[in-house]
Amino acid sequence: MEDILFIIIAAIFAMRYLLRLQARGVFTILLVGLIGFFFSFTVAEMPPFGDPNNPVFNEIPARYMGEGIADTGAVNIVSSVIIDYRAFDTLGEATVLFVAIAAVIATLKSH
Amino acid sequence: MEDQIVRITSRLVAPFIQVYGIYVILHGHLSPGGGFSGGAIFGASLVLVALSFNLEVGAKQISHDTASVLESGGALGFVITGLVGVAVGANFLANRSAGFPLGEVGELFSAGAIFIITAFLGVKVASTIVTLFYNIIEGEEKSGNAH
Repeated sequence: MEDILFIIIAAIFAMRYLLRLQARGVFTILLVGLIGFFFSFTVAEMPPFGDPNNPVFNEIPARYMGEGIADTGAVNIVSSVIIDYRAFDTLGEATVLFVAIAAVIATLKSH
Repeated sequence: MEDQIVRITSRLVAPFIQVYGIYVILHGHLSPGGGFSGGAIFGASLVLVALSFNLEVGAKQISHDTASVLESGGALGFVITGLVGVAVGANFLANRSAGFPLGEVGELFSAGAIFIITAFLGVKVASTIVTLFYNIIEGEEKSGNAH
């Protein structure tokens, strides 16, 4: 921990006095570095791609795969998910379209 | 646009695009596709004709009132299909438990509410694309940038 703090402070001084950056530039570089650190930390913590022990492979996809045709009668499992199991979400999508067209008409149509 | 090649090609191609769009909408529960993609294909064919001819010819295909009725009707049909489940005593947007006939798996007329909702969604998306296109184009023309 102290090592990391020392490196950061040394980097600030180096940027400030060796590269002659302004305080705003130093702050920007630090902020971008912090965001990048958290992004790469998150990516490193993500489960590996395609691993069968991933947390997404729980009982829900098994239910969709196994019982989907008997539940909904649709061969296309994607369709049975978006229009049967998750139909309320699709209704929200249709509402987004509706709001978009209402906004366009309200903005562009001259009365 | 006054191009003979573009006009003849789009006039030839447009019916096939429309048939394909209807196919994608109606087979949403059997093959990849569905209401959103099929409606987009169908709407794109109407936009294609309006672009390659002119707006008057395009507006003859589907008038503004028809488009807005279809637009609202698609959304209403979706909600009413969902409310059938509530009326029967099941959940909102229920399919099998609301008593929709599931039919034989793999047939065209099967899957109960999925088939109905996909058809309504396709109508809605197609009319949305057409309405958006005409409103944007006409807004441009009224502000003095006529081509």
